[in-house]
Amino acid sequence: MSEAVVHIQNFRMNFGRTTVIKDLSFDVYPGETFGFLGSNGSGKTTTIRALLGIYQATSGILHVNGAPFSPERSGKLGYLPEERGLYKKESVIDVMAYFGRLKGLNKKSAVAWSMNYLERVQLADKAKVRLDKLSSGQQQKVQLGVTLMNDPVLLILDEPTKGFDPVNRKLLMDIIDEQRMAGATVLMVTHQMEEVERLCDRVILLRDGVAHAYGTIEEVQSKFGAEIIFVQSPEIIPLSSLYEIKRQVKGAAELVARPGVSSTEILEALIENGISITSYVPKKPSLDDIFLEVYGAKAREGVA
Amino acid sequence: MARRHNLGTVVEFEVTRTLKRRRFWVGTLLVPVAIGAVLGLNIVSNSSTTQKAEAQKNEKFDFAYIDRSGYVEDEVARAVGGTPVTNSEEAISDVKSGKLTAFFYFPSNPETQRILVYGEDNGVFDNGKYSAVAGALLTTSAQSKIVDKKLLTILANNLKIHTQTFSAGRESGSIGDAIPPLLFLLIFYLVILLLGNQMLTSTQEEKENRVTEMILTTLNPTTLVVGKIIALFIIGIVQMAIFILPTLVSYIFFRNELRIPNFDLAALNFSLIPMVIGLLILISGFVLFTGTLVAVGAIMPTAKEAGQIYGVVVTLLFVPFWVISLVASDPQALIVQVFTYFPYSAPVTAMVRNGLGSLPTWQAGIVISELFIFGYVVLRMAIRLFALGSMEYSKKVSLRRLLPRK
Repeated sequence: MSEAVVHIQNFRMNFGRTTVIKDLSFDVYPGETFGFLGSNGSGKTTTIRALLGIYQATSGILHVNGAPFSPERSGKLGYLPEERGLYKKESVIDVMAYFGRLKGLNKKSAVAWSMNYLERVQLADKAKVRLDKLSSGQQQKVQLGVTLMNDPVLLILDEPTKGFDPVNRKLLMDIIDEQRMAGATVLMVTHQMEEVERLCDRVILLRDGVAHAYGTIEEVQSKFGAEIIFVQSPEIIPLSSLYEIKRQVKGAAELVARPGVSSTEILEALIENGISITSYVPKKPSLDDIFLEVYGAKAREGVA
Repeated sequence: MARRHNLGTVVEFEVTRTLKRRRFWVGTLLVPVAIGAVLGLNIVSNSSTTQKAEAQKNEKFDFAYIDRSGYVEDEVARAVGGTPVTNSEEAISDVKSGKLTAFFYFPSNPETQRILVYGEDNGVFDNGKYSAVAGALLTTSAQSKIVDKKLLTILANNLKIHTQTFSAGRESGSIGDAIPPLLFLLIFYLVILLLGNQMLTSTQEEKENRVTEMILTTLNPTTLVVGKIIALFIIGIVQMAIFILPTLVSYIFFRNELRIPNFDLAALNFSLIPMVIGLLILISGFVLFTGTLVAVGAIMPTAKEAGQIYGVVVTLLFVPFWVISLVASDPQALIVQVFTYFPYSAPVTAMVRNGLGSLPTWQAGIVISELFIFGYVVLRMAIRLFALGSMEYSKKVSLRRLLPRK
C-alpha cells in the first residue's frame, strides 16, 4: 500500500488530568474516503485538531503527508471544522476571495471560483452581502465553499452535514462525492451512518479515546454483530453449535451465526443434515446496528 | 514564497476591510473636522479681533491731551482729532459731564509711568479705542522722530538671529537640531495612542468569530500576526496623514489669520546619525509595544476584556515624562539611565535624549539592540499565545502554557 496521507500512531491526549485519547493509531491512504466515527465526546474532534497542530498532542506521532502538519508544507488541505466561523462583518465574496488567495489562487481566479461555487449552491445573489446577514444554513454553504477552494488533495470534514436540511445535505454529499471521484482523500467525522456506508472505504470507531473497530466496512461488520440468516424451509431447523435460533415459526427461521462461523458453513451443515431449503438470505449488521451495539453497551455499562 | 504571498494577502485584506468601514472614517474624520472647526473659529475670532483693534487704533474722535513727556507730536495728534489742553482737572470734569469725548494724560516718563486715559463709556469692548488711540499716538509720534529707517526695522523686532552654543568646547545642538529627531517621538506616541486599542483587539475577531481553526490550518500564525501588525502600521500612517492635513493647510494658507509664528524651516537640521537613531528606536519600540499588546490581546477571551489593559499601556508610555526635566538637565542621573535601558521606558527616554543630543551612539546601539531583541521575544510569545489561546473562547490563557509539557 502507498504511503499514508494521514498517519496517527500511539496518539495520547491529556487535558490536565483527564485523558481524552488513550492510545490511538490509524492511517488514511491516498484516494480513500475514511469515516471517523464515534459518539459525542469520544475524542474525534480532539484528534483532528491535534493532527492539524491546533492542539499539542501529549504523545504520539501525527503526520500529514509524512510530517507534522504545516499549512505551507503539507499540501493542499480543505478543512471544515466542527466549530464553524468566518469573518462575519465582511461580504461573502471578500471572505471567499481572501481564503482563496491564502490557498494559493490569484485574486481573479479566487473570485471566479467563488462565483461559480455560489451559483451552484444558489447563493450568487448574496455575493456582496455581509456574512452575518445570511441564515446559518447559507453561512454553512459559504464555509464549505471556503473548505473546497483550490481543489484540496486532503479533505478533513468534521460533521459536514451539521446544520443542513435534507435537501442541502444531499447537495453537500454530492459535492463531497465529486471531490472523492476527482481523487481527493477524504477524512470525514460524522454521525450519518448511511452516508458512511455509501461513501466510505474504511472506518474507525472510537469510544472513550480507544479504537473499537478499524478497517473496511465489511471487516467492521464481520467483527461486530454476527451474520443473521433468514431461512425458509418446510422442515424444523435443528439446534446446532454453529448458530443460535433467534426465532422459528412454521416454514421460516431467523438464525444468528456463532462467532467465527460463516453463513456458507451453516448452509452446508443444514444440507448435510438433510434439511430442504427454499430460501436462504444472509444479512450483515448495518453500521447503525454496530454503532448502537457499541454505544448501547456503554450506556448499559453506565446504567450498571 | 508562499509565506510572502500570504503576508501580502493578509496585509491587503486587513487594510482594505478597515478602510471600507464607515466606523473607521467617522472616527478618523472626527479629529480633523474638530481641528478644522477650532481653527475656523480661531481664524474668525482672530480676524475679528485684529480688525477691531485696527479699527480702534484708527478710530477718529475728539479728545484733549496733556503731554508732559514731550514725545507727542501736535501734528500727529491733530490729525486724529487731538487738542492740547493745560488743565487736567478741567478736562476730566468735561469728560464726566459729557462735553468732551476723551482726555489723555501722557506723563513725563511714559516708559515707566502710566498713561492716564479718561473717556465717555461706550461699552466694555468699544472703550478699548481710547487706550488704542493713546498708545498709537505716542508710538507714531516716537517713530516720526527716528530718521534712520533701519532703526525702525530693528525696533519692529524683525530680526534674523543665528545662535551657536558650546558644551565642553564642542558645538551643542540648537532647537533646529532637536526638532527633527523628536518628530519620531511624536510619531511613536501617535501610533501607539491611535492604534494601541486596535493592536490589543487585533486577534480578537478570529477568536470571537471562531475563524481561528480555519485560519491556523490555512496560514502560519506568524504570517497572520505580522500581517496584522503591518496593516495596523499602514492604517496608522493613513490616520496620521488625515490628522496632519488640516494643520498643514492651516500653516500654509492661514498662518497670519491664526497668528502662527513664521517658523524658519531652513533652521531645521536633519543630521543623518540622530535621524537614523531616531528611526531605529521608533521601529524597535513599535515592535516591542505591538508585541506586548498583541500578547495581552491573545490572552484575553474578549475584546472588552482586552480593552481594559489599554490604560495601563498608555500610562507606561508617559512614565518617562515624570522625569523629563532630569532627562534634559542631567542625562547621567541614575534614574535617567534606568529609564534609558528599561525596555518599556527606553523608547521615549532614548528618543528625547537623542533629540537633545545627550544620547551617545554606543548607548543608542545598546538601546536599539535591546529593544529589537526584547521586541522579537515578546512578539514570538504573542504568536505562541495566539496559537495556544485560539481555542480558548471563553477563558484567559495561562502563561504557564508557554512552558514545554512534561
